Amino acid sequence: MSNVISAKNLTLAYDNGRKEIIKNASFNIKKGDFVFITGPSGSGKSTLLKSLYGQLKPKEGNLVVGGRDLASISSRQLQELRTHMGIIFQDYKLINEWTVAKNVVLPLMIAGYSLDVQETQAHRLLKHVKLSEHADKYPLELSGGEQQRVGVARALAKNPVVILADEPTGNLDDYSSNVIWDLMENACQQLETTVLVVTHKIPTIFSLPYRHFIIESKGVYEVH
Amino acid sequence: MKFIKNHLMFILPLMAILLGIEFYLVFDRTTDSYEKGLKEGYTMLVVAKKPVTLQKLRQLNPHIATLEAIKREQIVSEVAQGVSKQSKKEILAALPYFYNVGLDSYLGTAALEKIKKDLEKDSNIKRVETFGSSYSSAYRLFAFIKFLLKVFIGFMGIVSLFLIIKQMEIWKYAHRERMQVMEIFGAPLMLRAGVLFKVAIFDAFIATLLTSAVFLYVKFVWAAQSGIDLMMQKQDDLFKMTDMAILLGVALLLVIVAVYTVVFSSKGVQE
Repeated sequence: MSNVISAKNLTLAYDNGRKEIIKNASFNIKKGDFVFITGPSGSGKSTLLKSLYGQLKPKEGNLVVGGRDLASISSRQLQELRTHMGIIFQDYKLINEWTVAKNVVLPLMIAGYSLDVQETQAHRLLKHVKLSEHADKYPLELSGGEQQRVGVARALAKNPVVILADEPTGNLDDYSSNVIWDLMENACQQLETTVLVVTHKIPTIFSLPYRHFIIESKGVYEVH
Repeated sequence: MKFIKNHLMFILPLMAILLGIEFYLVFDRTTDSYEKGLKEGYTMLVVAKKPVTLQKLRQLNPHIATLEAIKREQIVSEVAQGVSKQSKKEILAALPYFYNVGLDSYLGTAALEKIKKDLEKDSNIKRVETFGSSYSSAYRLFAFIKFLLKVFIGFMGIVSLFLIIKQMEIWKYAHRERMQVMEIFGAPLMLRAGVLFKVAIFDAFIATLLTSAVFLYVKFVWAAQSGIDLMMQKQDDLFKMTDMAILLGVALLLVIVAVYTVVFSSKGVQE
């Protein structure tokens, strides 16, 4: 199967290249892979994820996502690439002045889908994450677990090629965490979406086969 | 309440700038019109021993634009009433030639003095009367007020611009998260900034409408009843309706620049 993400001798750094976080990392992630990235706090897990959605440009090496080299991508190409990604954040990053339904269909809105399609999809997605009755509420009216389900629904809205999740269950209780893991497993299994999850701890109950990368001492290593 | 406050914080400084521009335009036209009136109404008196030509005077000073001879017979008939025909003839023969001399532009007293000296260099010219002091004092006062107004409007514009930038900072804070989230999901700039553009353009229209209302009041009510001849007679020249388009254009330009500033300074995800 083709690589959705490919890194070769990748070096990531902050402070105009002075502070290196990841150095000479090489890895490939294929379509349909479910990948956990773990590592100690401050090891660079979130930095790696940021680089995957183009928020941080590689200092050295190649990082190819969806066929685009992020080292040399133009802002227009990055904009287009991001429409094929679903991104989930630990702090949800929902738009608080929008209703839950509107938040969920943000990727469809960006893609220019009609209001009718957006409405139908909002209904379907919210049903999928079991939040149908909250469609007209605002994010701050929901619990943390519910807000994260909205975040997952938003990430799934446009059947993305890849889902990038940064500590998606970091702020949630066990029940809410399990719901989130189920939703992401389903997406990977049914839609063959590549899922990359940065987390402190791999969930104990997880039915899908997965790959596990550890970030340690600036290196990215796969655990077999 | 917060909604109204947010809008007013943007509309009021914008209005201050627009009012400044409008007052500047009107005052500039008023002074121009006054200056034109002064220039057209002003002539200096030249007394010559023999007839002179415009060309000859222009050779002496290039600012001379018109030359109009004052009829000597008329002067004699006015000053020598009840005098015999013969005596009138003698007076006419002894009388010098009088001319009203117009200039090509409005000049200060120093320039008038120079013209006087240039003309008096010619032995044919007996006397030149510039009436300099009476005509320049009113205009000097007017020019001084114009200068003060320009300084005041400039100062007001700068302060208002700072207020707009301050309000933009508040907008930036209020909309930053939404724009960043939209950017992460690949929204183009126009979509990300759509709400800001709508709000800013709405405010620009409101500010233009309110400023235009003040402008129309001044034009149709205040100026018409002001008792100032210049204002009443040249109302349409001083207060042009096209100014409203200028105000709208300036308001839209300002808000578009302001929104772009907010959008570009909100790039990047805050972790």
